[in-house]
Amino acid sequence: MRNLRRYLKDAGVGIATLAVFLLLWELLARAVNSPFIPGPYEVALAFVRLATVGDFDGYTLLEHSEVSIYRVLLGFIAGTVTAVPLGLVMGLKPTVKTAANTIIEPMRFIPPIAWIPLSIVLLLGLSRYVFLLWIGTFFPILLNTIAGVRHTSPTLVNVAKTFGASNSEITTKIVLPSALPEIMTGLRVGLGIGWMCIVAAEMLGGDPVGLGRLILKYANFLQIDAVIVGMVLIGVIGMAMNYIILILEKKMFKYRVEVLT
Amino acid sequence: MSHMFSLESVSKSFTADTGTIDVIKDITLNVEEGQFLCIVGPSGCGKTTLLKIMCGLEQPTSGKVLIKGVSPDPKVQKFGVIFQEESLLPWRSIRKNVEFGQELTDRKISNELTEKYISMVGLEGFENYYPHQISGGMKKRVAIARALAVEPDIMMMDEPFADLDAQTRWILQKELLSIWQKLHKTVIFITHNVEEAVFLGQKVAILTTRPATLKTLIEINLPYPRDRLSPPAISFREKIIEVLRCEVPTI
Repeated sequence: MRNLRRYLKDAGVGIATLAVFLLLWELLARAVNSPFIPGPYEVALAFVRLATVGDFDGYTLLEHSEVSIYRVLLGFIAGTVTAVPLGLVMGLKPTVKTAANTIIEPMRFIPPIAWIPLSIVLLLGLSRYVFLLWIGTFFPILLNTIAGVRHTSPTLVNVAKTFGASNSEITTKIVLPSALPEIMTGLRVGLGIGWMCIVAAEMLGGDPVGLGRLILKYANFLQIDAVIVGMVLIGVIGMAMNYIILILEKKMFKYRVEVLT
Repeated sequence: MSHMFSLESVSKSFTADTGTIDVIKDITLNVEEGQFLCIVGPSGCGKTTLLKIMCGLEQPTSGKVLIKGVSPDPKVQKFGVIFQEESLLPWRSIRKNVEFGQELTDRKISNELTEKYISMVGLEGFENYYPHQISGGMKKRVAIARALAVEPDIMMMDEPFADLDAQTRWILQKELLSIWQKLHKTVIFITHNVEEAVFLGQKVAILTTRPATLKTLIEINLPYPRDRLSPPAISFREKIIEVLRCEVPTI
């Protein structure tokens, strides 16, 4: 009952803030009165047009979103299957960490956009997109996995050792489950950053579908209302993906959430 | 005849930037099967290092540790080690925690053993709880049940009750004694608490400050159950404190 009331209150505050924001935006757009600064009403019209009729190539918003989500998920999967095992090994073996960091640390600061020329030269088709999105997801997952491994309680490792656990049993029964909450945080952040790289990835061109491509297409014609539709959609989908993993984290690590709160 | 457990002039030193630090020096000690030995020493004297050496987590620099005549190897022998720190796996239920030791030592889980020891430590009905949902004293009971469930030859405990409140500590000491009498396990119990040592141990080994050597071995020939405040118990306490006072004059 109390929760419901609080929920309704939060929802009310959220809706009110959104309404004020849209109102101010509309007023500002009308005051400026420029074809390059559309108000929320024009953006909404563009949204309906793009959602039902589609863009000038005939692709609807649903198709753009599906393709982008598909690409990001592939990049995210590639990031997960590479970063989690590498992070485990780097967390467990300091020598591997030192060795790998010589290459990985400087690479971490190269923005995905800088990889575009190389990926055009080296890769074809879908793999170009996946590669760029992999770059985006890889590092947060890697760093969180290493941190998770490092935070494993030495006492728990000793308990396993006194029961005669082998190194692989210590990894699977102690290190992995104890690092899992941090790995999940890494997955959530990685997916978010991967999603933020979607525009960079879809700059690669070729394919006319995808939310990033939608933005680029309309940017060329200076149709800012459609550009904003693409931007808002990227924001909302990113938020939804983050939220889904947050819920999953809460369910998986009930023991942790209850300790923290 | 080989002893259940023995330390044969065990020494341990660590190398640091400033040189070699001797932590344990030439400790020789025997424990017979079924005996309850307490090891008392001033804080920071190397008790935890000693426990790690005793259960094979660390190797002595010189000397030998023998359990039933062989060097301790947790991959071959079964130990029940209880640590001072929080040692339950937070992602496992109480039941799964108790099964953890069996999983590693026997590669299979016996429901019968799990249930037997959960009920021996008085935790029936809490099997599906998680560690964060139970009290500090209950967590220690789980750790004890987990150690017992592998049916170890020897129990080694490192200040297991140090961070509990006095009342809970007393209750757990009593229960530990009744479990020991029921199962006839060999127990090595490390503590800094003199009262605890006199209440529990048949023998009390007193260590010196670092480097830890064996100062005296006192036999506590009082029948169980012991009365903490009986004159003989108090005089044993005074005797031990007297010995410790030579080590740490401010006690």
